[in-house]
Amino acid sequence: MSDNDNKKPTGDSQTPPKGSPSETREAPGSTPKHPPAGAKLDTPPAAHSGPTGTPPPPAAKPAGPPPPKNPGFVTCTIDGKEVVVKPGTNMIEAARMVGSDIPYFCYHPRLSIAANCRMCMVEASNAPKLVPGCQTPLVEGQVIKTTTPKVKEQQRAVMEFLLLNHPVDCSICDQAGECKLQDYYMRYDYRPSRLEGGKVMKNKRKVLGPRVVLDQERCIICSRCVRFMNEIPKEPQLGIFGRGSHEVIDTFPGSELNSNYSLNTVDICPVGALLSRDFRFRARSWFLSAAPSVCTGCSRGCNTYADFMGQDTYRYRPRENEAVNKSWMCDHGRETYKGLNLGRVLSAVVGRQQGITARPEVARKEAIQAAAKALSGVKGQVAVLASPVASNEDLLAALTFAKTTLGAKEVYVGGRPQGQADHYLLTADRNPNRKGLEMIAQGLGLALKPFEDLAKAMDGGKVKALYAVGTEVPGNLEAFSAAASKLDVFVAQSTNESALTAQATVLLPASAHVEFDGSFVQVDGLIQRFRKAYPSKGDAVGHWALAAELTREMGGTAAWTSSREVFRELGKQVTGFAEFDWDKSAPPDREKPGINPLPTAADGRPPGYREFGAPRVRGL
Amino acid sequence: MSTFALDRVTAQFPEAVAERYLDRTGGAWAVIHAEHLPKVAAFLKNELDFKLFTSIDAVDRLHLAENDPRFEVVYFIYSLSRHEHVRFKVRVSENRPEIPSITPVFRGADWWERFVWDFYGIRFAGHPDLRRVLLYEEFQGHPLRKDYALRDRQPLIPERPIKDIFRGPGTSGVS
Amino acid sequence: MADTHKPVSPPNPEAPNPDTDAYAHEAELEAHLQTKRMYVNMGPSHPATHGTVRLKVELEGENIAEIDCEIGFLHRGFQKSCENVTWTQCLPYTDRLNYVSAMMNNFGFLNAVEKLIGLEIPERAQYIRVIGSELHRIHDHLTCVGATGMELGGFAPFLFAVEARELIMDRVAELTGARLTTNFGRIGGMNRDLPEGWSEKVIKTLDKVMEHVTEIDGLLSRNRIFVDRTKDTGIITAEDAIDYGWTGPCLRACGIDYDIRKVKPYWVYDRMEFDVPVGEKGDNYDRYLMRIEEMKQSDRIIRQALKQIPAGPIILDDWRIALPPKPEVYGTIEGVISHFKLVMEGIQVPAGEVYDCTEAANGELGWYMVSDGSGRPYKVHVRAPGYPILSAVPHIIKGKLLADLIPTFDTINMIGGEVEQ
Repeated sequence: MSDNDNKKPTGDSQTPPKGSPSETREAPGSTPKHPPAGAKLDTPPAAHSGPTGTPPPPAAKPAGPPPPKNPGFVTCTIDGKEVVVKPGTNMIEAARMVGSDIPYFCYHPRLSIAANCRMCMVEASNAPKLVPGCQTPLVEGQVIKTTTPKVKEQQRAVMEFLLLNHPVDCSICDQAGECKLQDYYMRYDYRPSRLEGGKVMKNKRKVLGPRVVLDQERCIICSRCVRFMNEIPKEPQLGIFGRGSHEVIDTFPGSELNSNYSLNTVDICPVGALLSRDFRFRARSWFLSAAPSVCTGCSRGCNTYADFMGQDTYRYRPRENEAVNKSWMCDHGRETYKGLNLGRVLSAVVGRQQGITARPEVARKEAIQAAAKALSGVKGQVAVLASPVASNEDLLAALTFAKTTLGAKEVYVGGRPQGQADHYLLTADRNPNRKGLEMIAQGLGLALKPFEDLAKAMDGGKVKALYAVGTEVPGNLEAFSAAASKLDVFVAQSTNESALTAQATVLLPASAHVEFDGSFVQVDGLIQRFRKAYPSKGDAVGHWALAAELTREMGGTAAWTSSREVFRELGKQVTGFAEFDWDKSAPPDREKPGINPLPTAADGRPPGYREFGAPRVRGL
Repeated sequence: MSTFALDRVTAQFPEAVAERYLDRTGGAWAVIHAEHLPKVAAFLKNELDFKLFTSIDAVDRLHLAENDPRFEVVYFIYSLSRHEHVRFKVRVSENRPEIPSITPVFRGADWWERFVWDFYGIRFAGHPDLRRVLLYEEFQGHPLRKDYALRDRQPLIPERPIKDIFRGPGTSGVS
Repeated sequence: MADTHKPVSPPNPEAPNPDTDAYAHEAELEAHLQTKRMYVNMGPSHPATHGTVRLKVELEGENIAEIDCEIGFLHRGFQKSCENVTWTQCLPYTDRLNYVSAMMNNFGFLNAVEKLIGLEIPERAQYIRVIGSELHRIHDHLTCVGATGMELGGFAPFLFAVEARELIMDRVAELTGARLTTNFGRIGGMNRDLPEGWSEKVIKTLDKVMEHVTEIDGLLSRNRIFVDRTKDTGIITAEDAIDYGWTGPCLRACGIDYDIRKVKPYWVYDRMEFDVPVGEKGDNYDRYLMRIEEMKQSDRIIRQALKQIPAGPIILDDWRIALPPKPEVYGTIEGVISHFKLVMEGIQVPAGEVYDCTEAANGELGWYMVSDGSGRPYKVHVRAPGYPILSAVPHIIKGKLLADLIPTFDTINMIGGEVEQ
């Protein structure tokens, strides 16, 4: 930066800068003078036809106005473009259809309308004053203008008002880079501060609950979080307290924000006021890339974005899916990202762990050879444990290997233990792919048997060899591990270390679901694709690839080189998979809601991959 | 900005001009059908006195909203008598990236066409010597295409045999 | 050598001894001089090609029968790099185009971006750009003239040129903070103002530089050796030069009066009084003279500009374009947001395309830019003036003496950085 640009701030007069881009040049001087910004909030819910919130009856009009142009729909004009919408559609949604962006903070399509931020005020032909676009349904023949000087002046005034008491926090704020205040400031205000004197001080780190912390100074009181807690999980834990510039969001006295959906308030917070205690200060959002993925926390299969940098996932964010999770996901699911980073099996190991001594790590190829040798000796007597945490592709390949090469006829179902379902999204079954496992076993003609049978059989010494695809077990882990320590052959493919993996005679590292392309079948039978975020950590490859290597090592044929091919070749046998278009069902990987900070994938590295490792961030 | 040249071209070869528009800064543009390109270039040079050949380049529209056809080759020619540039472009599809060369008309187009071939992989039919110009012949791919990764690596290539170079005394080159 | 160990067959006494007998044949004595084509490889690193270019020359005697320019040794992926950084971050890459007159590339690039956005920069900034450009024009021409002198055998002019260059570089360093890669100017104006007392220093510097230019002029322009080697060598006709797309002093040396500063004045060139020298023959000597004369004209322009330069802002006061002043960044949320967005996401250049050109030291520096509305360029095409000029070298030199290649290559002033992007 230069030494010489410490010129005096010239914004006192609030004249728009000279020579600004030509498309906004009509703004200067002549703009009608509006009441001061502070008065804006007192504007009564602007005049509009039809009662607030309820759609106006489209056809039942007095004789005066002309009949609707498109019966059953409302036809009006937004920025000179004609738009036909269903009755009751508000202006923001209608404007979006014709490519006009009406800015907003407090509006959220899935929440009730508050119309308190006043950012979406537009000019309507049938109202003398500006009307809030979020609250006002369109009426027949209305002409809406979203870019007039009057509207621009309003937007500028609102932005100035919102920034008046906003702390100078961008450099330490987690929201920076995906903050609506920043975006809108650059688009609608871009003028210096006129504030003289200090800003209102509030509590900068108010811990609201186990997962959420609030910076009250940054809050713009849009009330999205309050409405969310009231309306979506229906656990009213937040409220607005105080008046005027001392208004704050807080929990009710004696209670805390401990809902299982509390982190959604962090997502919908348009500014950096509500923060995830887990994610706080760990990464700057513009360094993160997002991969469309699916949550593995339970069988609901909420659609997510896995935000990652390097080969680490930093957080999950919900991805919109009307059929599954709308725009939300639960806190339980969000925390499952940690298993992708920590406690991973990163390299192959041959031989059981003795005490605490580290076992020698071997190249995967050697381990595969060792596993193949061990399994060859016990063909036909190998019990197969399959985990419903693994993806369809993994299970297809591994169970095909078990059936054709190992000669297995039945499969024991492992997986995480059952939990408590909650009242909204979280299901009791904490495995993302139980449906998929059932479908695949049926398709391949394998019988599914409960885990308890395996535990009993092992206790009884009937099972001497075990091949495990995923080492999550629903029963008592210690007891089962102890039983496993007596096995002659225990080949385990695992993503995460546990007491059980320590007992494997051959342990093979498997990729987690963000590390390859694949699919899950969620609880309602919906097949959902997820995308690869980054290359597998360590020496890991997918379960399917391990199965393919084992098959080849044991003399079978497995020509698959990608999870896509696995699904294409083996999925044919499974009813329900045949009509699933694996490629087309993949979520687009170039989008990220909000702003797209940096197109990191453009340079040929995997998105988010940094040549010299991840930047040093706290908490890792 | 003047639309003189493009007006004349449109009048002379109405079939050659697919589209006319002004860009946001007021520059007049025409989209020329590839097959009429040499004719239009010759007309501009010989009849309209647009003789100073300025440049050619291409745009890979892969990531833009309108990306079919994928490439646009842009031409700029200057008139020393009228003191203005004429700008026109030719759209090139990804499947058949080949357009006629205008090197027979403007010798200055020679290296620019080689440049476009080098970096975008668009061939110019009738170019006398269409080699790569800045990159080496063994280079794989065309790096200014948007699907060429920023940090893509090229394979190592064996040293070329130096047969045509007469070497004097000294140790270099003697095994 | 491996074959020295081979058993040598005993010499046949009947066979003619090539060392003695061959020349004894009568026919040999009467034959014409046996010539065969010789291939000479000049470059990529050659003392007489200041620029990493490889010329594969096929000689017939001393005449050049075929020549092929192999360029690209300095290719750095300029366009690709620009497509992957913000508009502002492209600026340092433009330094490295014509590294002898970096400021002209900076300002040319900025001018095109400003045209694409639709900005009118403050008057003072326009003056600073004119001053910077003309300083670097002198700098560029000094390099060219000095190197020409040196490569034709005169070391003294080169020393004078370097001495004068050094003075200009000092002024440039005071102005921009860098001697070579200036990275000067920002979209919407300049990033720093003229330093205190700089204008007076420049006047003094110009006096000194012009003294040196006069010395060089005196040493070279009537020097018999120099004139013999440059006059009537490397001739290109005006028609050919136009056809190849020559611009700048090289085109003007052919007698074509085309200077963008005159025909399409940008910044404040229309307020300056200066002449555009035009040559006659289009040979090396004319191209050399163009540069000597242009330095004198640039000197005039700078003196006028320094006299006329008004006070005022040097950059637009628009926080979507220019970084806010530092006190605002550290003290107000508005400033920090603007700074953050401009640095992290770049200036949001509205979608569109533009072709714009300025008169750089070697000719028309053209920019064709496409923006997709984001903070990064979608396409940055640079029309480096040296590129078409170099492409005509084989045409000029074919059939001429190898010795003519050196002055020709000097006076066209090929700059690897801009030609090879």
